[in-house]
Amino acid sequence: MNPAVHLDGITKRFPGVVANDDVDLTVERGSVHALLGENGAGKTTLMNVLYGLYEPTEGTVVLDGEPQSFDSPRDAIDAGVGMIHQHFMLVDPMTVWENVVLGNEPKAWGGLRVDKTAARDAVTELSERYGFDVDPDATIADISVGEQQRVEILKALYRGADVLIMDEPTAVLTPQEVEELYGVFEELTDQGKTIIFISHKLGEALSAADDITVLRDGLNVGTVSAADVTREDLAEMMVGREVLMEPAASPQPPGDSVLEVTGLCVDDDRGVEAVSDLSFELRAGEVLGVAGVDGNGQSQLVEAVTGLREAASGEIRYRGESILGTTRRERIDGGMAFVPEDRHERGLVMSYDLTENGILGSQHDPPFARGGRLDWRASRDHAESVIEQYDVRPPDAEATAESLSGGNQQKFIVGREFERDPDLVVAMHPTRGVDIGSTEFLHDRLLDLRAEGKAVLLVSSKLDEVQGLSDRLAVMHEGSFSGVVDPATVTEEEIGLLMAGEPLDDDSVERAAVHGDADPTDGGPDEDPMDGTAGEGVDA
Amino acid sequence: MSDSGPGSGTDPDRVPSLARRVLAPFADRSVAERLVISLAAIVLSIAVGFVIVLVSGRVAECTTAAWTMPVTGMGFCYDPVEVYVVLFNGALGYPFAVGEPGLLNPTWSPFNLSFGLTLSETTLLIFTGLSVAVAFRAGLFNIGTQGQLVVGALATALTVLAAAPLLPEGPAAGVVLILVGTAAGAVGGGFWGAIPGALKAYADANEVITTIMLNFVAANVAYVLVLEVFRAEGSSVVATRYVPEYAQIRPWLFSDSSDFALVALAAGVVCIAGLYYLLEHTPFGYDLRTSGVQAAAAEYGGVNAKLTTVRAMTLSGAIGGIGGSVWVLMSEGRWMASVPDLGFDGITVSILAGNNPIGVLPAAFLFGLLKGGALEIGFQTDVPTELVGVLRGLIILFVAMPEFFRMIGRFVGMGSGGTGGVAATSSEAGEAATEGGETDA
Repeated sequence: MNPAVHLDGITKRFPGVVANDDVDLTVERGSVHALLGENGAGKTTLMNVLYGLYEPTEGTVVLDGEPQSFDSPRDAIDAGVGMIHQHFMLVDPMTVWENVVLGNEPKAWGGLRVDKTAARDAVTELSERYGFDVDPDATIADISVGEQQRVEILKALYRGADVLIMDEPTAVLTPQEVEELYGVFEELTDQGKTIIFISHKLGEALSAADDITVLRDGLNVGTVSAADVTREDLAEMMVGREVLMEPAASPQPPGDSVLEVTGLCVDDDRGVEAVSDLSFELRAGEVLGVAGVDGNGQSQLVEAVTGLREAASGEIRYRGESILGTTRRERIDGGMAFVPEDRHERGLVMSYDLTENGILGSQHDPPFARGGRLDWRASRDHAESVIEQYDVRPPDAEATAESLSGGNQQKFIVGREFERDPDLVVAMHPTRGVDIGSTEFLHDRLLDLRAEGKAVLLVSSKLDEVQGLSDRLAVMHEGSFSGVVDPATVTEEEIGLLMAGEPLDDDSVERAAVHGDADPTDGGPDEDPMDGTAGEGVDA
Repeated sequence: MSDSGPGSGTDPDRVPSLARRVLAPFADRSVAERLVISLAAIVLSIAVGFVIVLVSGRVAECTTAAWTMPVTGMGFCYDPVEVYVVLFNGALGYPFAVGEPGLLNPTWSPFNLSFGLTLSETTLLIFTGLSVAVAFRAGLFNIGTQGQLVVGALATALTVLAAAPLLPEGPAAGVVLILVGTAAGAVGGGFWGAIPGALKAYADANEVITTIMLNFVAANVAYVLVLEVFRAEGSSVVATRYVPEYAQIRPWLFSDSSDFALVALAAGVVCIAGLYYLLEHTPFGYDLRTSGVQAAAAEYGGVNAKLTTVRAMTLSGAIGGIGGSVWVLMSEGRWMASVPDLGFDGITVSILAGNNPIGVLPAAFLFGLLKGGALEIGFQTDVPTELVGVLRGLIILFVAMPEFFRMIGRFVGMGSGGTGGVAATSSEAGEAATEGGETDA
């Protein structure tokens, strides 16, 4: 029997970026296949190719042995491919059955009228056949997110989908709804449907999928059977065995405590606990690295420390004083530099030029603000100095942030924050999208800061980066540190275990705060919007 | 915003910095593009308006044709050429001689009645346009300038009426009363603007809804207050007493009946400059603009979003309130219930200006011209005022759709293909940010 889906050597290039590089993917009929990878690994791009949104640069889509050529999702739908996006495309004030038939309504009176009875019956029948338990007459706005997702699945089934692609299907669901979704998967595959779902969560792929394909940097790292693989294997496949940097020893013993976090709990936007009872201390002249698969609470931790998110409970002390309840402004003024993970949303004002962006965060402080007015000359000099030191191209302080490539935007942000003369640097993915040469420079600067006695909290999904720069390496899993280890002696296998949430008994573990029952869904943020459209780590 | 002009390559210190800053925007391609587009919009709206005037002139009944089409001999009641000549020439008080030898009218003086009416409207719209613009730049859609103007106007009238007996009559007292009255207008309008600002910041209430609603509240509360408490004795309309003549902003050079004082226009221009300075050259302006274009980045940069919202709305309301003061002290001499729709026109003025304080001046002047010209058409021709309203609307409609002209520009192969003027609205900037995200690698 032919496989339901066979992608043959798919390559998708965008200007300056290879999002998918010669990817082969085979999905058997009636199976659940997980597409696993970090943000920007090319998962969504690959699925958009299968769904006809993108035309592959090279390669062929083969469905059930038949080579296909899709000009649009319409063609893909006609060929039996349905896609359920992360953000549902439902009309809120309309009922379930109206949403399902929308665009493909059964007609009566020679096409003048929607045959409501037939439409409603068809939807009821479909819903019952798959045991979906959705009231066809309910209004979308009134039903739960899990039910809305099932309506989306019904929509695809109504259009005759045999292959269902789901983009991060658990991202918006509660743990109970996730369990229900797994039940839906079983129901669908029992009836011969094929499911491909995109995820960056290991546990999810292991519990729901039959087979797992891991993508990294646009390449297919391998396809494995969920039955024969461990979480550690998957973590290793996702993060990759990259050349380890020689960890540079700290020139001096750590100084005073700069940041002290005790019993910190932070909720994400949905109100789900993303950081759970986390405690650590960071001292002057020390780099604490935080590794882990994206979405395990790193963002919420960093936001709570830097003042962008309120802590639910616990304590954060900065230079000995509690900073809970202080504003972002007060934390900036207190000498906290912050390289945010999202440069387009937070780190830069895209429509401002670099002169204006250079004072973001310092707009009330001398030398930029003096006597209630902004000194644009000083601001410009500052921007030019950052541009020169950090090799930002083009070297033009009047260029708008949006006109720069991602790597150069990143260099500018890192430069601005590093040159703030901070006491604490919180850096999240500081070298994301930056080319190799500049990455080394940024790493050297970070170590210089440490030598100057600054405290650095470094969060990165690049294992070699956190391992090479940190004095202590914490691995974060589902909101807490599954272990804090010595980066010089820890092995990749051990980090893989910790990333999967399993504690070590090794001597190198200073402290392991493992959480009891592992929650299958972590409260991670939504997938980085850049995923799929641009590969990370490539500087255009 | 790099200036692509020839000056950009020269040593910045050789050119005086102020002159460079003033002139740089005009060398900017997007500003030049804006000017060309505005011109094209006016030309196109006149072409369309031409047809409308002809058609309605054919439908209307009249004894003598105002214009007869050559060759066909078909008669029309309204002469479109005359309509537009009167509209623009009349708004300025006929500086151009029509049908006479020589281009200019030798007897024309700038201080004529019609031009005064035009500038009076311009002055009032500068304030309301600025009010809307400053809120817009903070990402807030203040529909409530009208209400803020009503409250500011009433506060001004009542304050001046109350304070006048305390001071000896005379020009000195007049100056004091005008300043105090304007301050009262700013406080009143600012208070009325702060309410929706606070509701937005602390109760998550949509400012579009609250400002619209507060317009009704302001109009009706003011009406009842004046009707029941402050109504001038023997007045046939719902209005307060007149403020003393010495406490009114008097016309100087212009005729009395134009209700226009150069001092008020000067104050408006000072406001424009002040607001421009505030937005571009102060930390507060930086916070405000950043909140408007990219709220998440503002938060990252330590901007207190709630406080900035309240401040921006208070400032916006205060400027609208000053517009009310000028309306009372310059135009009417008293508060009266029939407040013109200056606040609503301010929204259009601000959008035409790209929410840029500097742009408010030409936009308000265009509105003033159309207002003055419409009055003149009423005096000089048989064209009904409704038709003039249609022509005004057309001009504004075309000026307000720059993207349409950019599209035409691209179609005929001119232009840069670049979009977005100097002062992009928040949504434009947002799109730009998204685009930046997509092209990023």
